[in-house]
Amino acid sequence: MTVTTTSRTVTLDPNRNVPGVRRQGFPDAVRAEWIKFWSVRSTTWSTVMLFVLGAGLTVLVCATSAEWLASGKADESPASFVTWGMMFAQITAVVLGALIATSEYGTGMIRATLAATPRRGTVLAAKALVLSSTLFVAGTVTAFAGYLGGNWFLDDHGVGVALTDDGVLRSMVGSGLYLAVLGLFALGVGVLVRHTAAALSIVLALVFVVGTMVFLLPGAWGEWIGKLMPGNAGSGVATPVSFNPDLLEPWVGFAVFSGEVAAVLLVAYLVFRRRDA
Amino acid sequence: MIVARGLTKTYGDKKAVDGIDVTVEPGRVTGFLGPNGAGKSTTMRMILGLDRPTAGTVTVNGHRYPDSPAPLREVGALLEARALHPGRSARDHLRWLAVSNRIPVPRVDEVLELVGLTSVAHQRVGRFSLGMGQRLGIAVALLGDPPVVVLDEPVNGLDPEGIRWVRTLARQLAAEGRTVFISSHLMSEMALTADHLVVIGRGRVLADCSMSDFIARHAASFVRVRSPQPADVADLLRRQGLDVVDEDDELRVQGLDPAAIGELVGKSGLYLHELTLVRSSLEDAFMTLTAGSVDYSAATPVGAPR
Ligand SMILES: Nc1ncnc2c1ncn2[C@@H]1O[C@H](COP(=O)(O)OP(=O)(O)OP(=O)(O)O)[C@@H](O)[C@H]1O
Ligand SMILES: [Mg+2]
Repeated sequence: MTVTTTSRTVTLDPNRNVPGVRRQGFPDAVRAEWIKFWSVRSTTWSTVMLFVLGAGLTVLVCATSAEWLASGKADESPASFVTWGMMFAQITAVVLGALIATSEYGTGMIRATLAATPRRGTVLAAKALVLSSTLFVAGTVTAFAGYLGGNWFLDDHGVGVALTDDGVLRSMVGSGLYLAVLGLFALGVGVLVRHTAAALSIVLALVFVVGTMVFLLPGAWGEWIGKLMPGNAGSGVATPVSFNPDLLEPWVGFAVFSGEVAAVLLVAYLVFRRRDA
Repeated sequence: MIVARGLTKTYGDKKAVDGIDVTVEPGRVTGFLGPNGAGKSTTMRMILGLDRPTAGTVTVNGHRYPDSPAPLREVGALLEARALHPGRSARDHLRWLAVSNRIPVPRVDEVLELVGLTSVAHQRVGRFSLGMGQRLGIAVALLGDPPVVVLDEPVNGLDPEGIRWVRTLARQLAAEGRTVFISSHLMSEMALTADHLVVIGRGRVLADCSMSDFIARHAASFVRVRSPQPADVADLLRRQGLDVVDEDDELRVQGLDPAAIGELVGKSGLYLHELTLVRSSLEDAFMTLTAGSVDYSAATPVGAPR
């Protein structure tokens, strides 16, 4: 840089910085998004909360229910308790997913982002990759930690479940997968509505409130709507044995959920591509 | 070089930018001047591909901004909104920008040094003053060492030292052969910084000329002549082909400097009581030019001193 030296008049090749520079690519956008994601405190806090809620509550509920589960009076399978806390960890995944989109709109950052990487599909894909890989790893690690801690209490009362038991290992990886896709759902909604509070309300209401209420609808179609609601369809993969017998098979449900989220992301992309920043 | 052709942007039924044809040349500072709401920021957002033109095109170095292989290395921009996350440090903000365009990361510390923010590089930008935020914005613009620099009201919020720094910087960037496009609504500031002026009002180009042309054309000057024999003096000067207006007991003469007028009148034996060169300020010229296109003007209270 020469701006601090005495000025001189030279003819500058208007393209001088550009030839020899490889076109910015997807990996560059991913690295940039990664730095952005981890350089604000909300990410660290949310990830810590994810672990505390997911693993901590699982251990807590296993510790307090072990005796009851061992008593023979229990009408629930012990296996449905070893990922119990993940129900609450979902909230932090939704927060992270919404914020990665809406914090840019709240602050005007989106203009800096799109000036740096004008290809909007690249920006959205990079955000999706950074978010989902983080949530997958955090979700899986948290589920394992909760299982190890909670099962220690269950084992103590002779009702422990083995990793090799039906659905246990699947639910660990499934927790990571479910949180990753749930985060993507919030990202898609966040891109569409551009406001943190609105995005959080919509996703949390759909997953926690509407998803539960639709089971009150009468008849077979009510039951089907219940099965297909995003939270209901997707969360099955994250529990070894579900509390709710009406849900779809774990992997079928997860496929339905992923399809729904893919549709939301596609709409978000189409809107994002055309919209003024 | 930035080239806009028929560039138009409509928001709802409001024409923010209305068919602008402008060429911003390298090697000089081009001032982009207009009252509030004239469409300056909108034009700049369209240059950066952030807003989609309703009609027309705008290119940078011959192509659309989004087609650049590494846009930050080609165009550096300071946008109107601060476009920063308050929780991120200045250094991290520059770091992700650098990485996104394959700019070597050591360059981050270089620009921080250049704008004088090295000591606060690790502070969260939410704590920055307006001026510090503006300096960081300029650091962002210079990050890619770009041949084209677009600054939207860069002196907004800067102290006098900062204003002078931006002025010197802009002139230096242009002297290095870069294209420098700076918006402002302060004519006086542009008069000191810009070589070329583009004035817009209500989305239309009102003037596109060199600074010196603008002064000659719009900052009208005349010689005020007072005399106990105004009619005779006016006759005399008109016979010399000069433009004379009789107003408020004075003659306003255009076309000759005061010395020459004094000599003419002196030779004819008439008396003079006053002979003054009156130059209207650039600010006045700008106001006159844009008078018809101010969207948001404050009413002057009745009886207020003028
Ligand atoms: N996103 C938007 N939606 C609707 N109207 C807009 C939008 N952006 C700008 N406008 C309108 O377009 C016009 C031009 O605005 P712009 O911000 O470009 O003006 P400006 O010349 O930068 O003004 P200032 O000197 O105040 O910064 C204004 O009337 C503004 O209200
Ligand atoms: Mg503006």
